[in-house]
Amino acid sequence: MADKQASGSFLRLMSEESQASDLIIVFCDDHQETILDQGRCQGAPRRSLGGYSEDEDAWYPTRRWDRNVPLRNLPVSMQEKRDIRDRRNLQRRTIGCWESWRRSQRTVRRRMLEQMVQALSALQLWGRTLHSIEGRFGVSVKVYFVFLRYLVYLNLFNCLLTGALIQAPVFIFRNNIYSSTFKENDSYLDFFLGTGFLERSPVFYGFYTRGSLDGKCLNTPILFLLGVFSVLIFSLVMLVRRTVNGYKHKWMLSGRYNFSMSFKVFCSWDFCIHEPKSAAFKQSNIRNDLKMDLEEERFELLKSQRTLKVRVKIYFLRILLNTVVVILLGAAFCLIYIGTKYSHQQKDSKNYPWLYSLLLQYLPPIIITLVNFMLPHIFRVIVKFEDYSFTSQVNITLVRCIFLKLACLALFLFFLYDTLQKSPQNNQSCWENQFGKEMYKLLVFDLLATFTDTFFIMLPKKLLSEMYPECFLLKVMGRQKFLIQLNVLDLVYTQTVTWVGLFYCPMLTQICVCKLFAIFYIKKFAVQRCCKPTQRMFRASTSSVLFHFVLLLGLLMAFVVLGINLNKLKPSPTCGPFLGSSTVFNVTTMCVDSLPVHVGDFIKFMSSEAFAVPLIVVEILFLTSSMSLRSANNKCIERLKDMLVTCSSDKWYLVKQQAAWLQDQRSPQQSSSRAGSVEGSAPPEPRAHLDFHPLPERSVSQPCDTEPVPTHSRPPWNES
Amino acid sequence: MGTTASQLPKDLLSEYQELTFLTKQEILLAHKRFTELVAKEDRNDPSPRVPMSKILTLPELKSNPFRKRICHVFSTSESKDGSLTFEDFLDLLSAFSDSATLEIKSHYAFRIFDFDDDGTLDRGDLEKLVNCLTGETDDTRLTPEEMKQLINNILEESDIDKDGTVNLSEFQHVISRSPDFVSSFKIVL
Repeated sequence: MADKQASGSFLRLMSEESQASDLIIVFCDDHQETILDQGRCQGAPRRSLGGYSEDEDAWYPTRRWDRNVPLRNLPVSMQEKRDIRDRRNLQRRTIGCWESWRRSQRTVRRRMLEQMVQALSALQLWGRTLHSIEGRFGVSVKVYFVFLRYLVYLNLFNCLLTGALIQAPVFIFRNNIYSSTFKENDSYLDFFLGTGFLERSPVFYGFYTRGSLDGKCLNTPILFLLGVFSVLIFSLVMLVRRTVNGYKHKWMLSGRYNFSMSFKVFCSWDFCIHEPKSAAFKQSNIRNDLKMDLEEERFELLKSQRTLKVRVKIYFLRILLNTVVVILLGAAFCLIYIGTKYSHQQKDSKNYPWLYSLLLQYLPPIIITLVNFMLPHIFRVIVKFEDYSFTSQVNITLVRCIFLKLACLALFLFFLYDTLQKSPQNNQSCWENQFGKEMYKLLVFDLLATFTDTFFIMLPKKLLSEMYPECFLLKVMGRQKFLIQLNVLDLVYTQTVTWVGLFYCPMLTQICVCKLFAIFYIKKFAVQRCCKPTQRMFRASTSSVLFHFVLLLGLLMAFVVLGINLNKLKPSPTCGPFLGSSTVFNVTTMCVDSLPVHVGDFIKFMSSEAFAVPLIVVEILFLTSSMSLRSANNKCIERLKDMLVTCSSDKWYLVKQQAAWLQDQRSPQQSSSRAGSVEGSAPPEPRAHLDFHPLPERSVSQPCDTEPVPTHSRPPWNES
Repeated sequence: MGTTASQLPKDLLSEYQELTFLTKQEILLAHKRFTELVAKEDRNDPSPRVPMSKILTLPELKSNPFRKRICHVFSTSESKDGSLTFEDFLDLLSAFSDSATLEIKSHYAFRIFDFDDDGTLDRGDLEKLVNCLTGETDDTRLTPEEMKQLINNILEESDIDKDGTVNLSEFQHVISRSPDFVSSFKIVL
């Protein structure tokens, strides 16, 4: 039986492969041809109900016979794969030995590639852990950890760059052997404050001196500058690439090509889920999600019918609440300002006990962390009163949190900059180290906060709720959720601090990698031990675009801060690679001056406005052409869609025509009474398509008894 | 572990590796798990069949609302009872593996969602599909109005040729736009 079918298909191969392989091209070229192909693809399965296996050819006319498709890519059972392989081997014997050798080579190459990819993916960090988290909590929690892993990779690359360009030259060409060992008057507190021992170590800017490498264009300062900027530019390129890739997906998902409902139904089940509990949870999630969406649709409908009075009331409420948000933000900024100022005023007085002075030193980070901890929760409550749809509620909260987080940091940096600028430059300590120390402290304190939050707040809460499940207070506080957005914001904050502080604390990338590793294990513990999955999950892809976009904002902020600092502040005269020069960029100017005249002129031209203006013009031209291409493509898509609809209605018209014609042939005596009502004589299969209404001009039926339908319009699937 | 490896001849193992997306370790693990399911009296059978009820006891499938459909789709049994041989089982795991292509995953997803096996997703199929997703009981189901609104939305979005049903190519078109599908259409032993 199988052989017979195989030979039948084999005969069909010749005609099908040539026609259907480039379905799309045919589709664009010739209307008629499309109907033929469509008929073959769609009509066949309906011909025999329930018969997938018999009609595999019709489903996959091209794939199955394309010899380059690996067998495992065919959607057929194992036995059939074997049959196909035997047939392929038979064919291979009939073709020449050159061709056969070429194909086997291709197979070998493909296998090697696959094995390489497999080996590489086995090297991926934390593969198994992520898998188990995904299994228990679904895809959306995994997104956070994947983002974390991405940051670890990014920072590892950055470590390589800084190691090669900043640390290595200094260690090799150092002329004064610094004693960076632990001294007696150093305490372990220095690790938290970044003073004493750490200040003399390669962690901070002050350690990096000019050294013996002293070419015009190859010296330590230039390498230092190159290292910092290569890290920033590398990060920028990677991030833009990732954001754009994600954005493309997101764009395709939204707007006119909106498949959101279909996605929720077709793709929302997470087949990785094992536990019955999480399965039930996922079901309720999907149900809530669907209900929410349907409700939102109705909400939109209602919104368009709102009366003027209601609208005015809502806008008034929104303005009021937005004012509240602004006031809260302002208060937070004031608090940070006062804290920073106070901390700087008091830091020089030594007559406090050590704990108090530590607290004083850490006052700005403590305030920033507190504000960042409290306000997002308040925002989440506030937004509920604003009468937005749920999706916009989530987005608005997220945007407010992002604004808070980055603005806090920006404000802190501004005050720091302000105090540094005002403070007399002639004091002996080097201000770069000061700046680096602040960044270091922010990073360390954030890690401490994460640690404390997990082990001293979440864990006891979880244990308490396990011991006293009936406790009223615990029930009021609700169960603990892993709030992915807020956690992602923490990561973005960490990374932004790293970028900003990189110039003043070159080992910050290495510290950041260590910190991210620690965060990974802390958060893993938090998720697995202390949290239950969140009530609302969100679409993994769209949110990760938002994460990367926020990270990009952080990077831009780092660029701005660094640009201002390098241009406005004079490098300190006592430490660092740039001592003695009035600005950091003196070293590059000296390098350019030492080059041959033509090269120097060329570089000067490249960095002047004369070059920038044509560049911008070219970019604008390119952008315009892309935009017009886009709109043309959109139009084309619309036209093709219309064409598909027309094709389909054509097909059904023809089916009906033919059915009527057959009916007439069989019973010519009934035809006179039936003439003009082709609808009644439709074949039995299209019963499922009662909703289908052919286009008006198509449904005008001709009297069938006057002339038989010409043979060329007969649907092709009845010819065989 | 050593006995498991010896039960599966080397050439068969490499053949399975060629015909599926699974690695050697995964195939051996699958074989181990499968032999645990085979009834004692069938142990001597060269290609034993495990009834659907036993397959469904696997923890990986137990809580899946589509478990019966999955068995039916991958079964090569003549009597259409959803029983699986070891090779069917491997086919199943291969389609749900990490490295399976989007095309093969979407093809099988379509067949799993096509409850009446007629080659298209019509309103009845979609309704059953949504019920599976939200839970089958009366209080977890969507109301008839919601269901109608939802199905109209789905057809509006994905039924490109407007014939009232979603066919394979339309389904794959929708799926290919979803970057999440490949990562969630997975079953790992």
